[in-house]
Amino acid sequence: MSNDSTIHVHEGAVEHGVHHDGDGHHHHKQSFVSKYIFSQDHKTIAKQFLITGMAWAIVGAMFSIIFRLQIGYPDQTFPFLETFLGKWAKGGKIDPEFYYAAVTMHGTIMVFFVLTAGLSGTFANLLIPLQIGARDMASPFLNMLSYWFFFLASIIMVSSLFLSTGAHSGGWTTYPPLSALHEASSGSKRGVDFWLVSMAMFIVSQLMGGLNYVSTILNMRTKGMSMTRLPLTIWALFFTAVLGILSFPVLLSAAILLLFDRNLGTSFYLSDIYVAGQILPNEGGSPILYQHLFWFLGHPEVYIVILPTMGMVSEIMSINSRKPIFGYMAMVGSLFAICILALLVWAHHMFVSGMNPFLGGVFVLLTLLIAIPSAIKVFNWLTTIWRGNIRFTPAMLFCIGFVSIFISGGLTGIWMGNSTIDIHIHDTYFIIAHFHLVMGVAAFLGMFAGIYHWFPKMFGRYLNNTLGYIHFWVTLTGAYLIFWPMHYMGLAGVPRRYLDFSLWTSFNKFDSLNKMISIVTIIVFFVNLMFVFNFFYSIFKGRKVRTTNPWDATTLEWTTPINPGHGNWVGEIPEVHRWAYDYGKDGRDFIAQTEPVKPGETGH
Amino acid sequence: MEHQNISSEITYQHHIEDTEFKKRIRKTTILLSVITMIELAIGLTIYTMHKGEHPSALLVLMFKGMVCILTLAKAYYIVSVFMHLGDEIRNMIMTVVVPLMLFVWFIAAFLWDGNAFRTSRNRYDKFKMEKTMQHPIKQGDTTQHGFGG
Amino acid sequence: MATTAAATKTNWWNGGKSPFNVEYGKLMMWYFLMSDAFTFGAFLISYGTIRFSQNVWADPNVVFNAFPGAGHTNLPLAFVSVMTFILIISSVTMVLAVHAGHNNDKKGVMKWLAWTIVGGLAFLGCQAWEWHHLITGEHVVLMDNHLDVIGQTTRVNPWGQMVNPATVMNALQNTPHDALVKIVGSHHHEMTEVQLAALSDSQLKGMIDTAELHVRETGPVAFGGFFYGITGFHGFHVFSGVIINIIMLVMTSKDVFTNKGHYLMIEKAGLYWHFVDLVWVFVFLCFYLI
Repeated sequence: MSNDSTIHVHEGAVEHGVHHDGDGHHHHKQSFVSKYIFSQDHKTIAKQFLITGMAWAIVGAMFSIIFRLQIGYPDQTFPFLETFLGKWAKGGKIDPEFYYAAVTMHGTIMVFFVLTAGLSGTFANLLIPLQIGARDMASPFLNMLSYWFFFLASIIMVSSLFLSTGAHSGGWTTYPPLSALHEASSGSKRGVDFWLVSMAMFIVSQLMGGLNYVSTILNMRTKGMSMTRLPLTIWALFFTAVLGILSFPVLLSAAILLLFDRNLGTSFYLSDIYVAGQILPNEGGSPILYQHLFWFLGHPEVYIVILPTMGMVSEIMSINSRKPIFGYMAMVGSLFAICILALLVWAHHMFVSGMNPFLGGVFVLLTLLIAIPSAIKVFNWLTTIWRGNIRFTPAMLFCIGFVSIFISGGLTGIWMGNSTIDIHIHDTYFIIAHFHLVMGVAAFLGMFAGIYHWFPKMFGRYLNNTLGYIHFWVTLTGAYLIFWPMHYMGLAGVPRRYLDFSLWTSFNKFDSLNKMISIVTIIVFFVNLMFVFNFFYSIFKGRKVRTTNPWDATTLEWTTPINPGHGNWVGEIPEVHRWAYDYGKDGRDFIAQTEPVKPGETGH
Repeated sequence: MEHQNISSEITYQHHIEDTEFKKRIRKTTILLSVITMIELAIGLTIYTMHKGEHPSALLVLMFKGMVCILTLAKAYYIVSVFMHLGDEIRNMIMTVVVPLMLFVWFIAAFLWDGNAFRTSRNRYDKFKMEKTMQHPIKQGDTTQHGFGG
Repeated sequence: MATTAAATKTNWWNGGKSPFNVEYGKLMMWYFLMSDAFTFGAFLISYGTIRFSQNVWADPNVVFNAFPGAGHTNLPLAFVSVMTFILIISSVTMVLAVHAGHNNDKKGVMKWLAWTIVGGLAFLGCQAWEWHHLITGEHVVLMDNHLDVIGQTTRVNPWGQMVNPATVMNALQNTPHDALVKIVGSHHHEMTEVQLAALSDSQLKGMIDTAELHVRETGPVAFGGFFYGITGFHGFHVFSGVIINIIMLVMTSKDVFTNKGHYLMIEKAGLYWHFVDLVWVFVFLCFYLI
């Protein structure tokens, strides 16, 4: 009946019939390649996503360090930059063209490669089978392909950095006509084609992953694991996958049309253009159409980034407060509401693009509705830790930091959701502050929480706690120091995407502030490198986990062996009898999901 | 029953009677063909109307609307009978159909804005000169040295 | 085990089984098709958006009025209805193949799959003819105050509004030699291009009957891009569907499914094939009917 029908013990690991075909299994000794590289074990794939994501995070952050350096010290030269960047930093000063490429790559890498693939790729793969009680994903093979398409996308994106004309430099949103015309800038030449092809591969990867996550959650739950007994992590990852399935294909269409405009002379996005001394024959297209298509993905994308962390934070907060999550169904309901609204509000990114202002009015209304489920979630987190017996592990600290940052960054969303206010602050540092806090830093903090919390499950060892505390406090303080002042700069009208403000005398008063931001950025960068060190050091030398359930948690992943093999459970998959949040119930600290309900036990 | 258990996820199997099935497929095929013929007839009607002196815009629009509805009917039969979605459990039908509701707003918002592109394109005056002038600074103005003074 | 389980009230969502009573592969195929519907949806909605942003649009009945072997006869919608019926019929044969699979009838599966493949190839052939006809078509248009002969490509579109005779006469005077040769050549097939090129401008102009020229302005450029882009993307789906069906046919003939004991793979290939038909229904609507 259930999916544990065929079990073969093999070299200590448990294999089973994840392929439901009755044609037997092919047993062979696992070589290094099949165990660590082309692995079909969801846990290994999760680690692959995580480590690739971390490599990308370092690259993405390096870009921000380089341009922050020049923004903070516009008059200074940095000879070491020329050593590394050559013609892009002649005489140690960053070339404006390179600055645009750096900003574009920073955005693309962080949003797609780190916070989408690195985040939901890691935790969906790791947690879905473990927490729902499955031996692996529905299709381990597609799951493996999902990683390798991501890897292919990465290779293409990396190689675009080495083009002689430079990487794509039209912003991560890749708006035409700038991105559609080779003549428009040197960063609009081959770099954009590389970017588009890389994104197409990435979309394929996300679709294969997302389809797998959804069908696994629906079909592969163990006996007794009804949907309302799922941990909130799984619900969040489920809605994340749904968003990806519905919105990524639209970006694919947008990218294909843009490729046609670039290389086949079509006019989907182009009309009435005079560039490089000549009038182009393109006529009748509309660049706003691209913006609509892009943000149809782009807006759900920010929820693809934040929803998995919301789920993980709910889970970790409940565990470390030793209290059931407050308002489980309200949490699920608000995730659902966010998922729906995320798909309806895309054009609030385009209020000043020239779209119909009356249409914009509808988008304002829909956008402001998002405040309701978001607020429900925030209050539920706060009431979860209220009077809790809090264990301040690094993971818990990161969760609290997440809630704090999410509130700070989220409130300004209400400002910008109003088109009238948005006209004033559009394309200023205010926007940078808003989205870096609410989807950048918040998502990173949630991701760190997840890594600190599930590291024992991934590697059988703990991360170093002291380094973890330093990591948390510097990152949280640094995030506020970097992004809070940017609100004021934005309100004063400082525009984004400028390398040098010295021409505006009225912005000179922000010089010292800019220096401070740059210095803090560099400090935070190095502290996060310290986290990377902690990560790799602890994989090999960290304190060993001695008990299967180090955090006293109720969920199923802690019923597996400390270092589970492929197949996760030795013997039968456990059956589930209760929800995931029985903490502090009937005088007991926690009751695992696998424990049958006793007669006379109170309901939750 | 002799058919074997295909997968552990499946609890029971549908069994469709052969004759009943053939009848249903024949009926659907005829229905799809008839709808297509009606669509073609309407298409040709629109064609002759366009050739006429003063085609009534409203009538053309109504015909086009009818074709759209007929197309949706065709799509319904293909999905429900040929793809057997109609034979699945109701909840599964919902998980496929409900997300497709998103198309309503997707289409409405895009076409609404497309129409607005046309309006602004038609109103666009290529020869209009935009001018900006510095506002005269009066004595006592505190804002002249940048934002907020 | 059997159908009786349906009668007793099963709690589908309690885990340990599929809540929808389908195996994961079919579920994934359904959700994949749903997301693919958004890819096509985005294309067609973009097409609609651009079409709404234009004051004039090409009339499909004028653009698609040719039939293989019928020359210049005006047959609006005829060829595309042939294509539509080919796809509908191939969808029916696919249903029969899937049904034969349910009955573990190998011969039936192979027969109907083969017919489906034939239908798919026929459709692709029709599409190739239609593209070729549109690209190489010769239509006289008014461009920059002179006449020219163009086909339907991604960069130009000959389907603008009709030009009145006085403007045509005026434009004819400004038309360069090689364009005149092409205009005359498209109506006088008895002479070769070399012979025509040898004639003088005034001789050529004398051979042109402005009444039968049907000169139009150039139309909305996006039409070509969207037409080739979307029908091309659909054709790519048909092509991959044919490939999948061929693979299924080979696997069936090698008894892969007989050995497995079920033909679920055929069912999933069938879903994909029906989806291709479904998309065509909408492409047909958006490009040919309205």
